[in-house]
Amino acid sequence: MDLDAHLAAIVLGDKLSFARWLAGAERPVRESLRSFAKVIDVEAVLQEALLRVWQVAPRFEPDGRPNGLLRLGVRIARNLAISEVRRIRATPTEHDDLEAALAAQETLGNPPDPILRQAIEACRDKLPAKPRQALDARLASGGGHDDSELATSLGMKLNTFLQNFTRARQLLAECLKRSGVVLDEELGA
Amino acid sequence: MTDEEEALLVEQVASAYRPPTRAHEELRYHPAWHDLSEAARERAYARGRALRTLEAAVDPDGLSAAARAILARIPG
Repeated sequence: MDLDAHLAAIVLGDKLSFARWLAGAERPVRESLRSFAKVIDVEAVLQEALLRVWQVAPRFEPDGRPNGLLRLGVRIARNLAISEVRRIRATPTEHDDLEAALAAQETLGNPPDPILRQAIEACRDKLPAKPRQALDARLASGGGHDDSELATSLGMKLNTFLQNFTRARQLLAECLKRSGVVLDEELGA
Repeated sequence: MTDEEEALLVEQVASAYRPPTRAHEELRYHPAWHDLSEAARERAYARGRALRTLEAAVDPDGLSAAARAILARIPG
C-alpha cells in the first residue's frame, strides 16, 4: 500500500489522516532504527522523528515515487539517530538501509485484522485477574503514563505491576500460539 | 544487578511511555534505559516492537501506544 494516499489530507493538517499514515509507517521506521538499539533509546527517537514528519509535512514535495512521506520519515529518524550517536559518541554496529525499511512496509502496517483482534481478546479474557489488570492498564494508557503511575492506579508496587505485566504478556503469547497465532516471538520471551 | 532486576527494567523500557520533553530539549530517554546493558537494550527494542504489534492489533484504529503517544503531542 502506498501510504501517500493520506498525504494530501495530512498536508492540510488532518490529524486523522496522519493517524492512518502512522498506523502503516511506524513499523518500517522502527525497523530502520534497529541497528541503533544498543546505543540510543530507539523508542524516544522514533516518536520524536514521527512527530517531526507531521511538522514538516506541509512543506513536503513528493518525487512521484510511492511512500515518499515514509521515506522522508525514515531519513528524519536516521538523521536524528545519527545526531544522538554523535552526541553520546557511540557507534552502531551495523547499518540497516532504507530499502529494508520499505520492504518491511510491504508486509506490515496492514489495516486492523478483526479475526486477529478476536483471537487476542479471547486469550486476554483467559488471563488471571492481576496480570489482566496490568495488561489492560498498559493498553489503555496509550503510552501516556509511566509504569509507576499505572502501578499506583492499580494499588500495586512497581515490581509487582511489572511481574504481572510480564506474566500477562507470556500467557497471552502462549494462548495465541495454541490458536496458531505468532505475533512476534519476543512477545512470549 | 540481578537478571530478574534487569528483566524488569527491560519491561519498563519496552513500554511506549517516554517522559515529556522540557524546553530546549529534543529527546527524553526512558530513565531506566541508562541502566541497561547493550544486550538488554537490544532486548528492550525487540520487546517494544512486539508490544507495539500487539497494541496495534487490539486497537480499533490499528494504532500502537507509540502512535497514540505521538498523536497526543499534536495540539488540537
